[in-house]
Amino acid sequence: MINRKQTNRVHTSAKVLQGVILTGLLILLGRIFQLQIIEYEKYKPLSMQNSLRMEVVTPARGLIYDKNGTILVENQPIYSITVTPARFDMEKIPVLAELLHVEEQIVRQKVIEAQQYSWHRTSRLFTEVTFEVFSSIQENLWQLPGIGHQVESKRRYPTEVKAAHIFGYLREATREEYLELDYIRLGDKVGKSGLEMIYDNYLRGEVGTEYIRVNAFGQEQGSYENGVLDIPPTKGSDLITTIEADVQLLAEQLMENKWGGLVAIDPQTGGVLSMVSTPQYDLEKLAGRMDVEYWQKINSEPGTPLYNRAVSARQPPGSTFKPFMGLVGMELGLIVPETEIYNPGYYLRGRRYGDLADAGTYNLEKSLTFSSNTYFFWLMDRIASQSMLNSWSKMISDFGIGPINNIDLPSERSGIVPDSTYMNQRFGEGKWGIGDVMSLGVGQGMVSASPLQMAVAVSSIANGGYRVQPHLVSAIKNQDGELQYTNPAFDKIEWLEKSKIEAVKKGMRGVVTTGSGRYYANLEDIEVAGKTGTAQNPFGEDHGWFIAFAPMDNPQIAVAVLTENSGYGSISAAPIASLVIEKYLTGEVKRSHVLDYVLNFKSKNSISEETN
Amino acid sequence: MLNTEDFSWSVIAIWAGLFTIGLAAIYSATQGPVSQFLPDYIQNNFFRQIIWIALSIAVLVGIQFVSPRTFQGGAYLFYAFCIFLMIVTLFFGVEVSGSRSWLRVGPVNLQVGEITKIATIFATANYLTSRRDISAENLKTALITVALFLLPVALLLLQNEAGLAIVYLTILPVVLFWSGLPYGISLLMISPVLIGYFTILDWVWGGIMAVVLTIAIFLIQRRTWLTLSSLILGLIIVAGTEVALQQVLQPHQRARIESFANPTLDPLGAGWNVLQAKTAIGSGGLQGKGFMEGTQTQLRFLPEQWTDFIFCVVGEEFGFIGASILLLLFGLLFLRLLHMAANHRHPFAQLIILSVTFLYFFQFIINVGSATAILPIIGIPLPFVSYGGSAFLTNTIMLAVCLNLDSNKRSLSIYM
Repeated sequence: MINRKQTNRVHTSAKVLQGVILTGLLILLGRIFQLQIIEYEKYKPLSMQNSLRMEVVTPARGLIYDKNGTILVENQPIYSITVTPARFDMEKIPVLAELLHVEEQIVRQKVIEAQQYSWHRTSRLFTEVTFEVFSSIQENLWQLPGIGHQVESKRRYPTEVKAAHIFGYLREATREEYLELDYIRLGDKVGKSGLEMIYDNYLRGEVGTEYIRVNAFGQEQGSYENGVLDIPPTKGSDLITTIEADVQLLAEQLMENKWGGLVAIDPQTGGVLSMVSTPQYDLEKLAGRMDVEYWQKINSEPGTPLYNRAVSARQPPGSTFKPFMGLVGMELGLIVPETEIYNPGYYLRGRRYGDLADAGTYNLEKSLTFSSNTYFFWLMDRIASQSMLNSWSKMISDFGIGPINNIDLPSERSGIVPDSTYMNQRFGEGKWGIGDVMSLGVGQGMVSASPLQMAVAVSSIANGGYRVQPHLVSAIKNQDGELQYTNPAFDKIEWLEKSKIEAVKKGMRGVVTTGSGRYYANLEDIEVAGKTGTAQNPFGEDHGWFIAFAPMDNPQIAVAVLTENSGYGSISAAPIASLVIEKYLTGEVKRSHVLDYVLNFKSKNSISEETN
Repeated sequence: MLNTEDFSWSVIAIWAGLFTIGLAAIYSATQGPVSQFLPDYIQNNFFRQIIWIALSIAVLVGIQFVSPRTFQGGAYLFYAFCIFLMIVTLFFGVEVSGSRSWLRVGPVNLQVGEITKIATIFATANYLTSRRDISAENLKTALITVALFLLPVALLLLQNEAGLAIVYLTILPVVLFWSGLPYGISLLMISPVLIGYFTILDWVWGGIMAVVLTIAIFLIQRRTWLTLSSLILGLIIVAGTEVALQQVLQPHQRARIESFANPTLDPLGAGWNVLQAKTAIGSGGLQGKGFMEGTQTQLRFLPEQWTDFIFCVVGEEFGFIGASILLLLFGLLFLRLLHMAANHRHPFAQLIILSVTFLYFFQFIINVGSATAILPIIGIPLPFVSYGGSAFLTNTIMLAVCLNLDSNKRSLSIYM
């Protein structure tokens, strides 16, 4: 029944439909040509980004060792959960809260905090979660868009040594820091005090990058092409310090409940064996997730725990200044060791300058042993009246008293050793006289120093006239184990003659055997030489000082101790210094009565603090 | 009754080529590194597909021994039976991903809607050719044909199988057109789809399309009332689509419809699949990333990559070369089948072959169009390539019927 008309119609329809098929086919062919050939360059990187995630691999921060290879500062992994608010679905809060074992309300609040910080940047939601929580979040990432996880590390202090002022703490980099320094990223922690700050560039290492294949759910699928594109991180270098952990630990215990500073130096190298500033703080509480309450507490406490008294204190050195007066006096040609001065119980120059030592004739050695003021007032009188103040000031500074000693710690402060310029500034040009500088002769008045400065100074007596460069780090060990020694400079104090030092040494030995140090500083087997000091404090109880070195013939350790508001140095600072010397040289503390005495010693400030 | 001389072996070759590419893609999408993210039952898809293909080959051979008269004779009965099965499915069917369109028969799940495609094609072809002349100029004939289609479509919509329903509707204009519906009216029939599509892209384009189609209809038919109604209909569609997009639909629904044109509107929502699909195909480049090497596929950035997005797997892993070979195989199949239809002496056979051709064609266009983001994403499998036993078997049965009718074209009485 197919007629011609219908056959024509079939042919036309077939042609039309053929056209439809060809058109459809050509459109699709054109489309895939467009996508795969023309726009290939656009989609290729898209698929790479899609399936590859570049991650910054933070290197392990360098460790800090003591002199004998004991690890004092190490790293501990911590697990953090992050959120990118723009991608996070608030309806997932119950799920998230359950996985975190935290109340929903807290999670909500944290997410809102993160939103307020930035919608698009990733913030840490919870840090230091347990490994169990961390893994359960990891398994459930697919149903928690916007939630991420990361392994970070925090500092850990495996020994009992606190040494907060030596090691220092880490904090997240400030905006200025990460904008200015291209190697610091947002959220990086940088050293903010102590060795962590000074050696931050060594300790930090170099970040690496790693390409990880991820699927549509963000689940990691292992490395890309077996890691050909990866740049491994360079581990931070380790610091080998000069700290003697046992001595440091004892020193910290001895200084506890007191305000003050202690510095023990190896006078042959300048390496700091121990350094304590009290009150100190607990670095553990500042590591990782910071204990905010604790941070506020140590920032507002009257004892200012963050302040490193060992390198920053400015206190008159009192009688511990006398040995250096003697040495300068000899060099200035004003005295010889045999020079004798009569002490009637005071020195008269315009007014009476008191002297607690017994009346009698004193040479240099005796005046040091019994801490006669008259001898040094007399000496200072000569210096001032013969216009030698500037020479005096310069020579005192040569010992390290006054100037910055460039120890490898931040916040070191210079002391004051007045010269004419200083006096002119302070009192006005020519408006000061001998009376204004007299007290400098006995380490009182305007002269001020830190325990570090006094330790450096006493080291030069101990080692026969060398100005040591105090330092905490003796070597830096890089990733490959290569050691880079710091080799600090070590200069002879040119004008200081060894023969002249002997009289001073003898005088200082006398302090310990027969003088004010005989009760607490004298050791049975070791010849200790020292000098006590008491800094007058117009605001309260005097500050006690003690400087010492031992053994006499071949000094291995030089110590300076400042105990604030503790009265005489002979009863406050001297026992501490002697115990540190004993521990360092013999490895033990035999004098348990002295140890008990120090541990139970109450300085005036701590008593008043307790009663208030 | 198998006439090997007239048997179209080229079609068999194309068919084998398609399912081979399909198997490779299904293997890659379910057996590669991706498999660790897939549930077990999906990991078995490759092996199940092989079983279905084996079964389909047997069915294909078997059908060649069936008398072509049987198809016509049993058409209504088959149709009635399938409609009955669909109603049964509606009440007793198994629900798979939101659609109650599967009927459990022993160990296998059958998608009744797929088989009903064959029945519907047979029934309409039989109906249209049992008239004295195969003319749809007769309004009643045309309406009954539409009704034969709309019945299963309504049931499919009730089963929540919109995608399959769209496939049914696509061939309706082709069938009517072939059966003699005037060119102008045929064009008018498809004009809403074209105008709607362009309006989604931009209402200006929709308006231009409405005008162009109206002019075309006027030039073809030269009937004032037809031209006028075309213009009015066109403008209503432009306005209606625009109002629906802007006022009626929720933003997320609108984003879903528009996302193919502008996936960045909602890159993590509706636009996600579009972006990932384009990225997969685009990053395949000329040569592709290699078998089982596609990162988009293996890292599971593509949803339903063994069915609706299987073209992306081919595009990503075999590149432009592989994808165009696949497109060309389809093109050859369509043109070959169209040629068969046009050269058949019997109108029933013509209509059957034509319907089958365009059933394949529209599924192909929608599937690849979705994957390449020139059409909104409509979840439809790619014939012979996508995983899916019922669909593969149904498609093969239809192909087998076409081959049977073709090889018997000399012996088939035009008076049958």
